[in-house]
Amino acid sequence: MPLRKVVVLSSAGWLIAISVLHAALNLGLFRPGRTVEKTFKVGFLPVTCHLTCPVNHYIQKNLKGDGGFEPIRFNGWPELKEAFLSKYTDATFILAPMAMKLREEGIKVKIVYLGHRDGTALMVHKDSGIFRIDDLRGKKVAVPNRFSNQRLLLFKVLKERGLTFQDIELVEMPPPDMPAALYSRAVDAISSGEPFMGQTELDGYGRILYLTKDVWPGFISCVLAVRDEVIEHDRARVQALVDGIAASGVWLDQQMDNRMQAAQFVSKHYYNQDPRLLEFVLRKPPDRVKYTNLSVRRPDFLEIEQLGREAGILEGKAGFDDYADSTFVKDSATIEGYRFEDRASVLQGKEHGVIR
Amino acid sequence: MTDPSREDAAVPAKAAGRSALLRIGLPILVGALFIGGWHLGVRLSGSELFPTPVDVFFGVIELGRKGLLLKYIVASLFRVTLGFGLAVLLGIPLGLLLGWFQTLFFAFNPMIQVLRPISPIAWIPVAILWFGVDDRAPIFLIFLASVFPITVSAMAAVQNIQPVYLRAARNFGLGRMDLFRRVIFPATLPQVLTGIRIALGVAWLVVVAAEMIAVNSGLGYLIIDARNAGKRYDLVVAGMMMIGLIGLALDLVVRQLEHFDEVRWGYSR
Repeated sequence: MPLRKVVVLSSAGWLIAISVLHAALNLGLFRPGRTVEKTFKVGFLPVTCHLTCPVNHYIQKNLKGDGGFEPIRFNGWPELKEAFLSKYTDATFILAPMAMKLREEGIKVKIVYLGHRDGTALMVHKDSGIFRIDDLRGKKVAVPNRFSNQRLLLFKVLKERGLTFQDIELVEMPPPDMPAALYSRAVDAISSGEPFMGQTELDGYGRILYLTKDVWPGFISCVLAVRDEVIEHDRARVQALVDGIAASGVWLDQQMDNRMQAAQFVSKHYYNQDPRLLEFVLRKPPDRVKYTNLSVRRPDFLEIEQLGREAGILEGKAGFDDYADSTFVKDSATIEGYRFEDRASVLQGKEHGVIR
Repeated sequence: MTDPSREDAAVPAKAAGRSALLRIGLPILVGALFIGGWHLGVRLSGSELFPTPVDVFFGVIELGRKGLLLKYIVASLFRVTLGFGLAVLLGIPLGLLLGWFQTLFFAFNPMIQVLRPISPIAWIPVAILWFGVDDRAPIFLIFLASVFPITVSAMAAVQNIQPVYLRAARNFGLGRMDLFRRVIFPATLPQVLTGIRIALGVAWLVVVAAEMIAVNSGLGYLIIDARNAGKRYDLVVAGMMMIGLIGLALDLVVRQLEHFDEVRWGYSR
């Protein structure tokens, strides 16, 4: 057979075969009952700061047969932000100072609800000589992003000891890479959302220098942000999303068994992690991260704004009324949690000895 | 480069058997030594995070059992097929044109040389802003990475054609279309094919970077996902191994093209 015939035939055959396989295996094109209607996409990362996103989706899917929105999992802050800016995602969990910065830069986004409170730690290697904040002087400390609240938290803690960022060496690093960096002692200390901090403790080489709840109680790192135009055109959907996330938060904080169920189904269906990791960070101690009291309140954000300006990441060009919309949940005390139990997760939790 | 199969035909059967043994046996031996050294290295260093080859093997088995391995391989191959296919369809004609028409070459070559050294990783933000995070963004990145080697090799191939072919063609009074179809294209084919081989390697190379975007399948995604999953470096290395092995298979397939007469003359010159 001449070359041309071979190339044309085999390329065409290959193209058809691989496309059909991809469509069947990954895109689910041949699955029955597939809807082509445009879904409401919500971006999130596999961190506990964004836990209410998958929890809400899973519970709604089980209670109503439809998640109500499509959770899109990202792997790092830049991609998550860019997909939000390009209008691929309609809403997203995002770092509070990053949302505020976007608003300052003229991107019309609003913070409509908080993701969590607390849920961050600063970890050092267990064999290191760092026992107090002052010991961090001259050490290499990793934070997720310059707009992360972990960086602001560090700034605040250093300031209280009369230190500044000049006294330490600050590096930016994606949270999933942090445990390995601490293990190999490429950095001296790491700070990001859970479960990556808990992982170093669970694996036996990390030691807590501080938990957020001890140095900045009620700390907020991630918030739910929505573009202004989505609020205008699709207010009902945004309201439904916020209500669902609020109800999920209350459900998570109702009792430890609920959290342990969440550890099972979120690890399995959304994070693709070993459930023992979430079991650990959601339980030890139970107030490591909290999912109630999540209304958007002015004083919290004025504090972040103030620190952001001092740390040089915000300019104060956007005020609370520009970047926040607190009308979706006026009073978080009135929220009712979901009534939900996932049998498979309960069974697995019992097997792991975390549910009685 | 000479064709090994023809060399073999010239030597006695016994020697041929020995050379086949060497050709297959030696790489296996080197591979085994590598894996043994790796295992020993991990054991001796006492690392708790870095996986041994055994961990990686069981990681691959686990992926296979979950049905993820096939899914991810298909997803990556699909993206590379489309991105690379587009690059071939666009890169060869573009390269031939630029190589033949000097005006076009002067006009566009600097632009190509400016775009060529930009890593696909740098294009990730642009790809997300333009295409969102479905299959189109990684396909675009793979296309970008592979189109330039193809264009440049086709361009150089035309510029390096032996003048005697062109003079002969003119003597036969070939028209412009015929000249392209019957002289230039066949004359450049061996060099173009080398460019294609390099480009396929590059296309497969950038699959990890391209799948760092929030797609939810593919071997690159497997590596990123395993990094998120806590202490699953066995799966990270499993992803690396799969990418390497499939890269080897792809190269073997493209090299089959070199056995055709249309191309073979170019290598045995």
